[in-house]
This record gives sequence, C-alpha cells and structure tokens, in this order.
Amino acid sequence: MTDPSPLLDVRGLSIRVAGTAEPLVDNVSFTLNAGETLCIVGESGCGKSLTALALMGLLEGTPLRVERGSAMFQGIDLLSAAPDVLRGLRGDRAAMIFQEPMTSLNPALRIGEQIAEAVRAHRDIPRDAARARAAEMLQRVRIPAAGKRLDEYPHQLSGGMRQRVMIAMALANDPALLIADEPTTALDVTIQAQILDLMRNLGAETGTAQIMITHDLGVVAEMADKVAVMYAGRIVEAGTTAQVFDDPQHPYTLGLMSSMPSLAGDQGRLVTIPGSVPSPDDMPRGCRFAARCPFATAQCEAPPPLAPRGTGHAVACWHAPLEDFAVGQRREVPA
Amino acid sequence: MTQTILSARGLVRRFITGKPLFGAPTVVQAVNDVSLEVRQGETLAIVGESGCGKSTLARLLTRLIDPTEGSVIYGDRDIASLSGTELRALRREMQFIFQDPFSSLNPRMTVGALIEEPLRIHRLGTAPERRAKVAGLLRKVGLRPEHADRYPHEFSGGQRQRIGIARALATGPKIVVGDEPVSALDVSIQAQVVNILEDLKEELGLTLIIIAHDLAVIRHISDRVAVMYLGEIVELGDAADLFATPAHPYTEALLSAIPIPATGARKARTMLEGDPPNPIAPPPGCRFHTRCPYAQAKCRDERPELRTPSPDRQVACHFAEQLSLTGVNAAMAARPDAAQRRFALYSHARAAMAGAQTDKTKPTTEE
Repeated sequence: MTDPSPLLDVRGLSIRVAGTAEPLVDNVSFTLNAGETLCIVGESGCGKSLTALALMGLLEGTPLRVERGSAMFQGIDLLSAAPDVLRGLRGDRAAMIFQEPMTSLNPALRIGEQIAEAVRAHRDIPRDAARARAAEMLQRVRIPAAGKRLDEYPHQLSGGMRQRVMIAMALANDPALLIADEPTTALDVTIQAQILDLMRNLGAETGTAQIMITHDLGVVAEMADKVAVMYAGRIVEAGTTAQVFDDPQHPYTLGLMSSMPSLAGDQGRLVTIPGSVPSPDDMPRGCRFAARCPFATAQCEAPPPLAPRGTGHAVACWHAPLEDFAVGQRREVPA
Repeated sequence: MTQTILSARGLVRRFITGKPLFGAPTVVQAVNDVSLEVRQGETLAIVGESGCGKSTLARLLTRLIDPTEGSVIYGDRDIASLSGTELRALRREMQFIFQDPFSSLNPRMTVGALIEEPLRIHRLGTAPERRAKVAGLLRKVGLRPEHADRYPHEFSGGQRQRIGIARALATGPKIVVGDEPVSALDVSIQAQVVNILEDLKEELGLTLIIIAHDLAVIRHISDRVAVMYLGEIVELGDAADLFATPAHPYTEALLSAIPIPATGARKARTMLEGDPPNPIAPPPGCRFHTRCPYAQAKCRDERPELRTPSPDRQVACHFAEQLSLTGVNAAMAARPDAAQRRFALYSHARAAMAGAQTDKTKPTTEE
C-alpha cells in the first residue's frame, strides 16, 4: 500500500501564531498517493483548514507562520517554495475548493469567463479554446445546458450549481491534487449527495488525488480511502477508513463517534465528550485531549507520539489499546 | 389517549418578495395549507431542506408572524385572534430557541440580565427571587451561577446555546420551539446540548417542536416527524417507523442521501436530480412530481391531499400504498464486535469520569 514515492509527503508541519507558547498545528505528517482520497476530520479549530491553507501557501498575509516541516509534492517543497512557484502551481497542478462557493466566485464575472481565466492563467491558449474548455468542464461536472450557463453570473445559480462551477474551475487544468475544504457543508443533503457522487466519479476518472476536509464522519465513511482525525492541532489517529471506523483506538475518535446520533436506530442517551476544546492561545503541552479524556493519567502530561498500531494505522495515545486501562485509574490532568 | 396541545388548521403564509412599480407583486407561498396536531409532551420534528417553509411554520405556530389564512388553536382559543395581555400570557407559555447563539443574545447584557429579562417583562417574582431563579436555571443547563455576571462574548457557542435555553425556560413555558437549536454546534458540543434538551424536557414535562435539517439528530430526539417540501407537509408519522419505512418518495430520497458513518453502510444515493423548484412558481399537481422517480400522469395534474392510509401515518402521495420504499435500519450502521466493545469501554470510562466529577463539584451536568 505504501508507495515508495507518494504524490504528497507532509512531514512535521507546525504552524504558530507569533507570541504563543504552543503551536496551533503541531507536527502533522501524512502521505497521499496518486488517485487516493484522504479525509481530514475534526471539529472547529482543530487545525484541519489551516493545514490545507499552509499546503497551498495561503497563509501569507495572516499572523500565522509555518514554523517547521516539509511537504514534498512533485519535487517541490510546498512549505518553502517561493511565492511565484506556488502561484504557478495553484490552480494548475494543485487546486482547492472552499465551503462557500459564493464568496469564492467573482460576482461580476460570467462563470464561463472565470473558468477560462483559470485556464489562461496557466496555459498560453487562445480565448475561444479556453472558452471551449470551460464549456467542456461544465459538462464534466454535469451542469445541464452547459453552453448556455457559460454566460450566466454566479448569483443566477443555486448553491449546488455554484459548487459544481468551483469544481469545474479547480479541475480545468487537470490537477494532480485537489484539496476540498468542507465542499458540501453549506448544501442541503440531497444536493450534498449529488456533489459527493460527482467528486467520487471525477476522482476515479481523472486519477486526481483528493484531500477532503470535513467535520462529518458520514462523509468520511463515504469518500475516504484514508482518514486522519485531528484534535486541537494534532493528528490523534490515522489509518485506512476501515481501521478508523472498525477499530477506533483514540479516546477522541471514540468520543466523537459516540457523540453522533445514529440515523438508523435507538442508541439511548448520547455518550458525550465533556468540556470544550482548549483555547488556541493556551494549548496544553502534553496530550491536548487529556483534560476531556476519560482515560487520562499523569503520563498524559507528556505529549504522546503518533505511534503505529499495525500497518497504516497510528494512534497518539499513551493508553492504546484501551482494553488494558482499568477504570478508576483516571487522574485529573490540568488543562 | 394523548392530548393535543396545539393544532394548526389550514395554515397559509404568503410573502411578497418583489414589488415592481407597475404590475403584480411577486408572491411566495412559504407555507401552503398545513394542518397538524402537536401532542402534549411529545417532541415533534419538522424537517426539510432550505426554503421548504419549516422555519416559517414554526413562527406561525408560535405567532411570531401572523398567518395569511388558517388558524392555530392552543387550549380553546385561536392564537391568531389574541392581542395585548392575552398575547403576553401566551408568550409565557411558548418560547423559542434560535439557531445562532451568537446573534440571538444581546452582547451588551450580562448573562444574568438576559435570563432574567423574560421574568422582568412578565413581572414574575421579586428581584431576589428572580436572581435565585436565574442561578437555578444556569445550573439546570450545566453552567455555574457565577456565570451570571459575565457577558455572552465570554462563552463558547455551546455555552451560549445553553444560555439561550435557560432564557427560553425562564418563564416556565409549556411549549418550546427550537429552530435548528444544535446545527451551529460541533458534533461533541451538539451531543451535550441534545442531552440537556432531552433531560429538561423530561424534568419539566415540556412539549418540544424542533426544526432541523439533520435527520440523525431528528431521529434521536423526536417522537414524531413531519417532512416538508415546498411549503407543504408531505409525510408525518412516528419517527422510528417513518425512518424505517418511509411512505413518501421525498422522505425516501432524503434518507437515501445521508451518508452513514460506518464502513459497511450503504452508499448514499442520488435519487433526486437537480434543485428544488422555485417556490415562487411551484409545479402544478404534486409539488414533488418534477423530481419524483415514481411520478405518473396523475401526479402532474392532481394535488395529493395529506391522507391517513394507516394509523399514525399521514402521507401526501397518490401512490403511497403501491410503492414499496426503502428506509434506514440498524443493520446499516452496524459496527464490528471489536469496535462495539471499545465503544462500551469509552462509555463506561465516561460514566466513571462524570461520577468522579459530581462528587467534587455540585453542578450535575457536564460543562
């Protein structure tokens, strides 16, 4: 399963706001092979979007800095490459789509022009060829009457259609990597199903590797080959979709899954995770989940490494496997 | 055997969305001829996608807005005819929890003042009594009495939603309407708030009307579910039955679209192509016929009434009896035994942790 040279190899990515003691995103590592879909799942503030933005070189102009780490993608380190190298890469070999298509589209420009612009930014081709490519892309994302839609403005489209346009734009230059940050969160469920379907099919057709950032474990089960569960800036568990869902090891993964009501049947009272996430300017030094964890002990005041538990499965918990933990052993760990 | 606490009859609400200088205004029929009964002590959920009229319906039921046609009967009176003191008395008994805990709390008032405000408006109790009541309410929603002196911005989203709940409960309402009360919250915080709502409902004997688009949350908290499409109720029934055996094609499509977080689960299916039609010009006949995979000629011409083909189930579909539709069942979300055991470990340790914490501090609910 492990390709000798993955498409994307992220190692030790840390992101910090100047002046804080602990990094916001801490030592994040993962690999992605061509054609694979990795889902990064976690709640607000876990650093999943920051990770994506850092990979695309989009932290410029924010108080956030990549402190350490490398991200090798087709021979280029995304984290240290010069801005013009990244500009040449973005929208071409690596593309990104966002949650809210309306704020990512230019409201004053016809959608055909916007897609053509994305093509012409990277390829020296005539206007009508770019427009033809735009029409072709709208067809590929299954927009009905694509030829006519080219001349419409974003406000004339529904939310689902706008997200299709974003996908068309992102895929117009056949990228090797597509990062999608909560692409369906703003959409209704029936429209979400259409978009997920589309992304799965396009992924299979084009071989584009995808990183999908989501908070929805249902979307993860549906889309991912591999999963990384993030909590407060760290990956706490990573593995194949089957490993993470069928053999969840980290207490946070278990808590997150227990917190979700089931569509399919009665489960009684929801088993929750107590408390709330640590504040970004006051991250604990040790295990960042310890203050909320039912399995915490004094040992958890030291940060647990993301240690392998079988092939491809890794867990950052001192007490994994939890079967060996005796209840009553728990100690309060200061937040 | 169960009593009806609130009933809507033929509710219609139209909004004027565009008024040209000349010519006819554009009218949206947000709620079209909705009748339903809310039972004493139940949790009734109203589900549907954006623009289906579910929030408008909730506002009509509590008379936050007036219906264009139809009536809402509470007790023995039509609440549309109430005014002045009678309306104020009604407000005491029906309260609302809003979706966005950031915009629904006045940032310049302390939490204590916010929760006390409904008590002051309704002139309930003396000042010291009200303060004691605020402290009690804060404890009920899992916050601490000393939080009363703080301002909303000092709290997280989940805590603010608890404040919103405490405020809604201050006057001792009989009916609480929640418009997407947990959908702005993260999963782990959502679960805490869902548990609080359920506990309080039990403890105070409330009737809950919950508007939501998250069907898993709905399945968990509600006794009965009403499914809306383009301003109409297309199906209404017992939550467990309706999810297991939907009778309306739209309900089936909604259920099929939801990704289930388990590896052995069925893949979500795209049963509906395209977007919902424009509510300004809804299709004739059955409003769902343009997207319905089972539509026949009759559906284009004839509007199906909300019928009662079997006890405890209402459905607005000409062919409800002929169709055999697929729902969701427990087997779809089944987990392997090893995972099941680990979840049991978590649950056990979690309970032990809650026990240890209650010993140390007084408040019962987790923060």
